[in-house]
Amino acid sequence: MFKKSLLSMATVIGIAAALAGCSNSDGENESADSGSTQTVSFWAPFSGPDGPKMKEIVDEFNSSQEDVKVNLQIVPQSEYYTTIDLSLNGQEDSPDLMIMHGDQIATYANQNILKDMEPILGDTINKEDYHPTAWNGVEVDGALYGVPLDIHPLMFYYNKDMFEAAGLDPEAPPTNREEFVEMAKQLTNAENGEWGYAVPTLWPQQFIFPTIVYQNGGELISDGKVNYASDEAVEALQFQSDLIFEHKVSPENVQQDGELTLFLQGKSAMHMNGPWMLNQFEESNINFGVAPVPQLGTEQDAVFANSHNFVIPETVQDEAKIEAITTFLNFAGENGQAWAESGQAPVSKAVYESDEFNEMTQQPQVAKQFDYAQFAPAVENWGPLSDPLYSAVNEVLLGSMEPQEALEQAQEEAKSRLQ
Amino acid sequence: MKSKSKLSAFTSFLFVLPYLVMFILFLVAPLIYGIYISFHDWNLISPIRPFVGFENYTQIFTSGTSENKIFLNGLTNTLQFVVYSVPLLVVIGLLLAMLVNSLPSKIRGFFRTAYFLPYAISVSIIAVLWLWILDTNSGLMNNALQALGLNAIPWLTKLPYAWISIVIATVWWTIGFNMIIFINALNEVPEEMYEAADIDGATGFQKFIHITLPSIRPIMIFVIITSTIASFNVYGQPYLMTGGGPGDSTEVLLMGIVQQAFQLRQMGVASAMAMLMSLIMISISVGQFLLSRGKKGRGNEHA
Repeated sequence: MFKKSLLSMATVIGIAAALAGCSNSDGENESADSGSTQTVSFWAPFSGPDGPKMKEIVDEFNSSQEDVKVNLQIVPQSEYYTTIDLSLNGQEDSPDLMIMHGDQIATYANQNILKDMEPILGDTINKEDYHPTAWNGVEVDGALYGVPLDIHPLMFYYNKDMFEAAGLDPEAPPTNREEFVEMAKQLTNAENGEWGYAVPTLWPQQFIFPTIVYQNGGELISDGKVNYASDEAVEALQFQSDLIFEHKVSPENVQQDGELTLFLQGKSAMHMNGPWMLNQFEESNINFGVAPVPQLGTEQDAVFANSHNFVIPETVQDEAKIEAITTFLNFAGENGQAWAESGQAPVSKAVYESDEFNEMTQQPQVAKQFDYAQFAPAVENWGPLSDPLYSAVNEVLLGSMEPQEALEQAQEEAKSRLQ
Repeated sequence: MKSKSKLSAFTSFLFVLPYLVMFILFLVAPLIYGIYISFHDWNLISPIRPFVGFENYTQIFTSGTSENKIFLNGLTNTLQFVVYSVPLLVVIGLLLAMLVNSLPSKIRGFFRTAYFLPYAISVSIIAVLWLWILDTNSGLMNNALQALGLNAIPWLTKLPYAWISIVIATVWWTIGFNMIIFINALNEVPEEMYEAADIDGATGFQKFIHITLPSIRPIMIFVIITSTIASFNVYGQPYLMTGGGPGDSTEVLLMGIVQQAFQLRQMGVASAMAMLMSLIMISISVGQFLLSRGKKGRGNEHA
């Protein structure tokens, strides 16, 4: 999921209270007015600095032609899926088009809520115009349920000033495990409270841990079965634990967001997080670099990613409306540079292969990881299903359990949740 | 005469009406709807929601199910928090009230506001503030400890510190409310009683035990019950400060319910858990009330 920071997470709390009656407030669905103009209501969770960028694309589209008008409705990230659920559930006031994270698609597709895109694709939307990996993110049991907008994989950030101070080349971030550990040791000066790489014990382990498991050639779900305690997973967790307790390149007892605080204070030289952190890092005064995640595993290039995709609810049946939507999707694909300015990397070739895109700092580094990006297992409710896993990761990285034992326990617990 | 009393009954009813409407609309109606949902297999995004009777409840009470584990673990942790926080919320609230009340009246208003202020801040801000203060590796508290030559304390990542931190943050956040209520209660105690006690040569402590405490008993009961209910509803502090960690040892009941409802979209089970939680809260409150009433029988002279 696309958690931006503690503060944005905090709004989630509001949901508990607002259980009843928080939809129905957006009456934008005037159906097919005046016959000539098609109105498309479009929902997106972009309540951060990415919102205005999506608005730019929509405005540009609306002024480029007369036939279709897209109404963008931003719903705060923390309430987004609840709002969608409540609107789809009432079968009224639901949007014609919406953004959905890749890891949510399986859940909704299995409830037959999303339109199978296959009939639309090929005709007006050309699959070849997008990076092939992106289509993996919208596929459930062989069918495609969305048109991809971007892929946001785990990224590697590092403090160039600390690299220089440690006698390392600030333009040569580590690319594999050996370099990573070696550099981390050189960057660590525990007496001064300077660390090579503070290991997070909570979020964003949801991106880091699977990245290393996939790099080890492992899987977290195999053939629909929970597979948390595989050799690859145990190794991935042991490696992270060793960074803290063996190599001592990370402080112990890193709390929620503690590794982020240390990176922002210039006390942790390396940091892994999502591309959405770009704004925050640019506003801080650290001299940072960004690169693809080094190969921290042992087998293959891989990085864990989530994605933003356009999906259409099954309830949208009107041919003319669907055509209007596809016109917009084509436009958004070709004119997605504005989306790149939000820090994300669009998966449309028209954007990520352009010169303008490749002159940006972070975004081309994101796109470099497209080829081997891997998504959350296509199972329902991946978030809650993986909760026991991240409790185990937490216990191990706080030094209170051994990897094998913790992961086996998590596996048992997740199994009981899969029923 | 008769019509007059009818009229006054009617005007009284009018005064109660706004509250009654709100009460029914936002409390009774959702509660009944919640009970209704709890007897159904209610997936938020599925149109088919069959009636399942008590199945959601039996699921919660069958050991080995994930619902059972989430509920029991959440309940145990929530009860722990209640036990740690309520006595402090009551005792410190009363002490602060007495402290502020004994200040010269010129600065009393300032301190009353200062202590009350945190209560007006949202929990997300409170959590971020305390995260920064308590950060193990770069926080204010540990920097201070280390400057004094002491060891850093893992405030948020090890037990029992994680609970201590959550309780400290909670007390700091909400103590102002209890304090204000106690201040009002203290001001209600007739001055003559203290004067009479002075003549009898009572010490300050004796006056507190024999005059102050019995006089504010009804308010004390109110504060204990509301603090217990508020502590039962703990959510934001552990969610934001510890993420339920270490492991799941500070994962409270509401976190589990919210997860069932909005991540798993299982409104049926979530509602059943919420109903059980309300039942437990109601029983505890009623118990507290009866217990305090039973005691009152002996010391009735102040009533």
